[in-house]
Amino acid sequence: MVVRPVSAPTTAAGPPQALAPVDGPLLGCESCGMVSRGVPEDQLPEGAVLQCSRCHHALHHEKPFSLQRTWSCVIAAAILYIPANALPVMSTTSGFESSTHTLLGGIHDLWVDGAWGLAVIVFVASIAVPVLKIAALALLAWSVRKAPDWRRLERARLFRLIEVVGHWSMLDVYVVVLLAACVRFGSLASAHPEPGLLAFAAVVVLTLLAAHSFDPRMIWRDRQDHG
Amino acid sequence: MTRAADSLVVCEWCDQAYRWVPLEAGAVARCTRCEAVLGRGHRIGTETVLALTVTSLVVFLVAVFSHVISIRLSGTTVESTIPGAVLAAWDEGDQMVAVATAVTALIAPALFILLRLYVLVPLAAGRIPIGFGPVVRALHQVSRWNMLEVLTVGGLLSLVRLAALAEAVPGPAMFALGVLTVLFAAIEAAGLRHLWWYVP
Repeated sequence: MVVRPVSAPTTAAGPPQALAPVDGPLLGCESCGMVSRGVPEDQLPEGAVLQCSRCHHALHHEKPFSLQRTWSCVIAAAILYIPANALPVMSTTSGFESSTHTLLGGIHDLWVDGAWGLAVIVFVASIAVPVLKIAALALLAWSVRKAPDWRRLERARLFRLIEVVGHWSMLDVYVVVLLAACVRFGSLASAHPEPGLLAFAAVVVLTLLAAHSFDPRMIWRDRQDHG
Repeated sequence: MTRAADSLVVCEWCDQAYRWVPLEAGAVARCTRCEAVLGRGHRIGTETVLALTVTSLVVFLVAVFSHVISIRLSGTTVESTIPGAVLAAWDEGDQMVAVATAVTALIAPALFILLRLYVLVPLAAGRIPIGFGPVVRALHQVSRWNMLEVLTVGGLLSLVRLAALAEAVPGPAMFALGVLTVLFAAIEAAGLRHLWWYVP
């Protein structure tokens, strides 16, 4: 069953001031921005779904199973982060020499070659961003239940930062894919992706999914709202 | 087309409700509680976004069908394109990485352009396209998975690494990627919310 709540009452234009919720919370549609008046959960018929009256997108007070989905992606990403760093991401052969490269090894090589700027870029994208993302998402998910009033504004900013920098971790995946495609000179020189790259790509995708699952509105809920 | 002055807006990051006030071009309204952006006064209108999207389509075709990097080593030249790199990763047995690259660097950018055209061309002609709602919602998802700007930096980084090994030259696709990064940022800044103001 689908319930389309009435759109919220409109009022005369005024200064941008916060409005107190009238008759239960107001719901903003995440797709079209239309504001509807929420229906209290105990007044909804069993199994009913709220939909935006304009664009028919599902309306939620909170993304369904947000914390569970965030936790499962964060934990899976943390586990896969180990093989992503321990296993080589790329192997190269040139002449009769063949060698494998890990993520950290590649950064070390850049540093030793004197390409410090590049080494820093790759370090930030491949090491710092995934680690900080996993740690930050775990902190955000933990604090929703355990420390709801703690530094809400800073947590909200932290989440927005994660959303902005998140996909830059794909950088090393692209570099290896491009290098493997370019260096194809048979026995003279060649480069191949290795299993570590698969684990690393999975870490990146899982942290992105974890961030998408987390509902930032939970940061602003009070303790009793979670039941 | 402007937004009704007396409508409400709810911060999607923290659920705080506000009365909407029309914004001047370039102005940014922020949530007083969580400081997230509530809305912007747009400098560019729908027609401009349409023009940028058509431009992006042309540049995207260059990025896909020309080579990103060509390298030469002892008389042999290898030119690699983005689809070629994806296929090479697939053939190497790294199918998951190939799929992740194809989705974020080819499919998402392609849909970013094509779905926008599907919506904007009829709107410019004063019609609402069939399936407007689902397509605009799909565009939200596509924006999240489009990582073309990361690919651009990845391409430059590969070029620098290859230069140590052999004679490496950027191809037309590399320049196309650079242009697309700027175009996509401009299109993205215009957002999608205002498209709903066309719907009665």
